[in-house]
Amino acid sequence: MKIAWMYPDTLFLHGERGNVLALERYAKELGAEPVVDKIDFETEGFDPADYDVIYFGAGEISSFESVIKDMESYRDALKAFIEAGKPLIVTGTTMAMFGQKVKREDGSTVECAGFIPAEATEREYVYGDDLHIEADYNGKHMEIVGNQIQMENISFKEEGDFKGFGKVVYGMGNNGRDGIEGVMYKNSVFTNLLGPVLICNPWFTSGIIRAAAEVSGETLAEKDPDFELELKSIEMKKAFIANKKPGSFGQ
Amino acid sequence: MNFKAALIYGKLINSAIRIIDSSRGSNKAGEMALAKCPDMIKHFKGIDPSKVVFITGTNGKSTTTNLINHIFTKSGYNVVCNLEGANLLPGICTALIKASDLSGNIKADYLILETDERYLHKIRENLECNNLLVTNIMKDQVQRNGDPDFVYRKIAKVVKDFKMNLFLNADEPRARSLEDNGAKVIRYGAEKHSKSFTKDESFPTMPCPKCKHKIIFKYYNNDMVGNFRCVNCGFGSDEPADYITESADFEARTFSVNGVKFNMPYEPPYMLYNYSAAVAVAKEIGGISEEKSAEAFADFKNIGGRLETIEYKGKKIHYMRFKQENPETLQNFINIIAADPGEKAVVVGFGTVDDITPFYINSFYGYDCNFSALADANIKKFLCVTDTICYDSANCLIYGGADPNLMEIIPTDDSARIAEAIAALDCDNVYLDMKLEAFENLKNYVEKEA
Repeated sequence: MKIAWMYPDTLFLHGERGNVLALERYAKELGAEPVVDKIDFETEGFDPADYDVIYFGAGEISSFESVIKDMESYRDALKAFIEAGKPLIVTGTTMAMFGQKVKREDGSTVECAGFIPAEATEREYVYGDDLHIEADYNGKHMEIVGNQIQMENISFKEEGDFKGFGKVVYGMGNNGRDGIEGVMYKNSVFTNLLGPVLICNPWFTSGIIRAAAEVSGETLAEKDPDFELELKSIEMKKAFIANKKPGSFGQ
Repeated sequence: MNFKAALIYGKLINSAIRIIDSSRGSNKAGEMALAKCPDMIKHFKGIDPSKVVFITGTNGKSTTTNLINHIFTKSGYNVVCNLEGANLLPGICTALIKASDLSGNIKADYLILETDERYLHKIRENLECNNLLVTNIMKDQVQRNGDPDFVYRKIAKVVKDFKMNLFLNADEPRARSLEDNGAKVIRYGAEKHSKSFTKDESFPTMPCPKCKHKIIFKYYNNDMVGNFRCVNCGFGSDEPADYITESADFEARTFSVNGVKFNMPYEPPYMLYNYSAAVAVAKEIGGISEEKSAEAFADFKNIGGRLETIEYKGKKIHYMRFKQENPETLQNFINIIAADPGEKAVVVGFGTVDDITPFYINSFYGYDCNFSALADANIKKFLCVTDTICYDSANCLIYGGADPNLMEIIPTDDSARIAEAIAALDCDNVYLDMKLEAFENLKNYVEKEA
């Protein structure tokens, strides 16, 4: 199972390495043989079709234009990757890079990759908080707990096959108003969740590996690995969150 | 209220605080006086901007400020300094109120001021200053700062708008890249030393502040600080700094700058940058020779809480301040533990992030750090505590290569339970990795028990 870790030194903000370690670990535990390749500006001949999972971590908005420009060479192939039902996983701020545009605080606009029907407005103040959602992924209903460090407000309306990734139980989600967190299209997920989300919620990670294997035809173990530590952790976090008053999200 | 009335008001508050509770005196007078006269800092007299230094950045501000203040004071100068770390406008205003006469005249040779990186522009608008020292610009307090670029842009705007003389960390890419807009640029750094380290290819580095491509480090002296170069535009640290700590000997506790031997007051390698920065400011701003600075280093004592060892029921408990959401301070701590060959236990207390509301849970910083050195560090037990992320802490260590059988997880923030668990450990050498407030609670409990 080939996993592409995109621009790891540029989209580098919130322990993305942890998410990649989790993808690698659960691919292995489910019986696949994972190979992780780092892809960046200096990589020649990158073809998304060669991969089963592609991961973009959270990056600074100031890096978006450089990355979008570099993506031009494989943009169509990446769209085909998504259409084929392979999982493109995008976390944190970088979700906005796949939208239409980001209006920056200084009045300028970053024209984005245009993969999802979402727009972002940079916030004057950062908003950081826990984020608890319910989501359906790869045929399974699940709870996911992480956090978000929100540099932008995301405006997204469900349209066609573009759905919200999760329903917010606690937290801000895309914008603190509509109860929607992230965007999902087929098996690709664009989410504000950090944490690192794939370490802390291995049932989601396992779902990603299984979704990728279904497309490639790879056979995996039927039973998920033991998530004892993570299950204890999520219960502890939910108890912590249950005692919090919802924030105003600085709107 | 006019300036003079606000000043007298501030002085009265200072006097009252001194009588009631002197531990609360670093901000209050300035805060209340500024409420009456918002631009009062602009009205203080007798300040020569060429003799004012702002010290800003993510890590090391307080230590560097304290050390510079110490060198200048030992050299016979009268210095105004916000030593208590009150680094916003109220803290600076309080320091000026304390240092002025009733007409607002500041009687000092130099103003050495720690300044919060996010409010630097506001502070500079209020107080003229020609000199800015930047320690580093790192991931830190992401709930407040978001990403390093957020802080970088704030500091860069000050540098651009006010054309100051800059003292820059030559080995930290973001700080160094500010050099294009300085009136005069002095670089400080540290030579490669016996505790410099590398990380394997799985660890990301950072984007080049100039072109966003990959920065590669030949070696690290601290996490994300060392000999670096951008693979695309070539921006890097090869051109040597003006002040470099050389021949660092951590056993003999000595190093040299420009051929002059210094006593090393504290051993953690990251402090070498505090040392070279302080020597640079002393020489360039105060005309204080390296020899004179070296004399001052001999009896420098840093403010409490950064590095401490306490004893409890036969255990020596070593604490080094660790800031949550800040991978650099965690990596420094890991390196210090790994450098101790003795048998040891490690208490890991990643906890709730409670700097600002809403309090929340985040453990990302662990995955930026290289724990692999701990695998051969003679660790007999990892004690993972706190009532929010003890399980995540254990998981982070396991992903980092630690033996799951060495984990003991105690879901508590209670100092008594943590102390009890430490007392029950099989080894007497204990490293403690928790936020300062939690350590202070534990220390208070231990002192009370003793």
